[in-house]
Amino acid sequence: MTPNEKTVSLLLLLQLISSIFLWTLNALGTVSGGKFATFLAVDMLALTMVAYTYTHEKWGEMVSRVWMLAGSVGLIVLLFAGLYFP
Amino acid sequence: MSKTKPGILSRVASWLDSRLGLTYPLLRPVPRYAINPLYWLGALTVVAFLIQGITGVIMMLYYVPSPTSAFQSTKYIFDSVYYGRFLETIHLYTAYAMIMLAFMHMMRGYFVSVHKKPREMMWLVGMVMGFVTLGFGFTGYLLPWTVVSKSATDVGIGMIDALPAQVSSFVSFLIVGAGGDATELLRFYDLHVVVLPAVLLVLLTAKMYMLEAHGIAEPSAGAPKEPGRTIPIFPDVTVYLLGLAAMFGSAMLLISVILPLNLPPQYTPQLAALYTPQPDWYFLWVYQILKIGIFEGNGLPVALSLVTILFLVLFFLPFIDKGSEKRILNRPKFVTIGLIFVAELLVLTYWGLITPGQVIPTGSALLVLGGTAVIVAALSLGTYSVLRRRGQHGDLAIRSNLKTASFLFRRAATLIFLIAVGSFSIGASLNGSVNLILNRGNAWSIIWLVMSLILLGATILGAAVFIYQLELKSGSLKRRVPLFDLG
Repeated sequence: MTPNEKTVSLLLLLQLISSIFLWTLNALGTVSGGKFATFLAVDMLALTMVAYTYTHEKWGEMVSRVWMLAGSVGLIVLLFAGLYFP
Repeated sequence: MSKTKPGILSRVASWLDSRLGLTYPLLRPVPRYAINPLYWLGALTVVAFLIQGITGVIMMLYYVPSPTSAFQSTKYIFDSVYYGRFLETIHLYTAYAMIMLAFMHMMRGYFVSVHKKPREMMWLVGMVMGFVTLGFGFTGYLLPWTVVSKSATDVGIGMIDALPAQVSSFVSFLIVGAGGDATELLRFYDLHVVVLPAVLLVLLTAKMYMLEAHGIAEPSAGAPKEPGRTIPIFPDVTVYLLGLAAMFGSAMLLISVILPLNLPPQYTPQLAALYTPQPDWYFLWVYQILKIGIFEGNGLPVALSLVTILFLVLFFLPFIDKGSEKRILNRPKFVTIGLIFVAELLVLTYWGLITPGQVIPTGSALLVLGGTAVIVAALSLGTYSVLRRRGQHGDLAIRSNLKTASFLFRRAATLIFLIAVGSFSIGASLNGSVNLILNRGNAWSIIWLVMSLILLGATILGAAVFIYQLELKSGSLKRRVPLFDLG
């Protein structure tokens, strides 16, 4: 597996976990909209990073480490922020 | 020679493709230079429209469009529906984003000359779509039936009376009905959820058809010299757009979390009497023009005529700006007018926000609006003058620098930043002065005024440094000023 494939696999795994978590929240319906929105934002940000990696890899262009690092930091911040909501 | 067996995903994709024709070249591929978010502002506007549609349909399950139930049903969505407050919040913020993106899409089109041959009709259709988008904002604002929304809408409806009698009665019947709150709300609801979405979808289809016929507009400086480098719509551009849309959605979600919506009180005539009506931010610039002293009372039709003329000029722009020149560097007049337009909108919007219900003295309006126009025009034309001189006398290294996109981007970003901060500081200084006069020396108003004057001074100094640096690089400056040499 190339580093990009590893990254995409990790991001897809994160999306899967986040989606399952979102589904659970939705079924319970007892948590705040903030928690739901934050985890949905995690899902979407991960999707953006997957799309970015996929397109650049396919077009033979460098995947910017700065953007990927910024995205990863964003994901971590959002995950912790999501836990903050009741 | 061994042949690798395709994986299960590849086989599923291949099966789907052979049945659905996903990779059939229906849409023309996209040039590589168009893989840039600035080229997809229109697409992002459509994404915002889709989010509006999804959240709107969910809210329609609970909303009741009658004056007695509208507020209660909105409050029910807020308090009792799962994630209801989040739904309302994201519906509002994506509406704001849709208006903002549509405006940015229009202004980018103006600056890079997409309205020119052969895309004149695309511009006209896009402008109608812009009006429909504003119509969404106007009609949707009334629906929660709060004191804020109803009062502001009533002010907007009141302006219809300033139109010629025949037009006024027709428009009034169309959007308000025979009279009474019930018919008004029902008409606004119908326009918001049926008529305007249908019109927008028809216009969107027409625009997409023309886009397919003409292709994506080339950069204003001409297409780069790498013909043949195109990206297929499926799956590449589709995945790219999906990523862009996800990033936009993520940003909208975060803003909704950080700034959740609070529902203002229900509309009652008694409460409305205590409230100063003010439109939502995207109509504040019109509201501010109408509040200028000279347009008060009998001058209202004149103000409305001026705003109408402005819209007509924008609408018929392809038939006004007909020249074949598309390069930003060679269109100083139109680019400067565009920059003044954006700066005036920012100033009027901010000014409208900080002076609700106040009549603006004509002298102040002339000073602020005229001053803004002069500052922006001086900055823009000064920059053009320097760039042109550089083009004539500059050495080869400078010319090659001039051609690089990053050089232009940095200069354009600095210029836009200076204009934005300049507009803000002018508005803030004015606000400080007004507060100082009205509150007679309130400590906060003095601090505010001093800070905004410092900011204004810093902006003027920044503009001077900006022009000086450009002059210096062009080699046309004879004498150096050590203070301004920032490297």
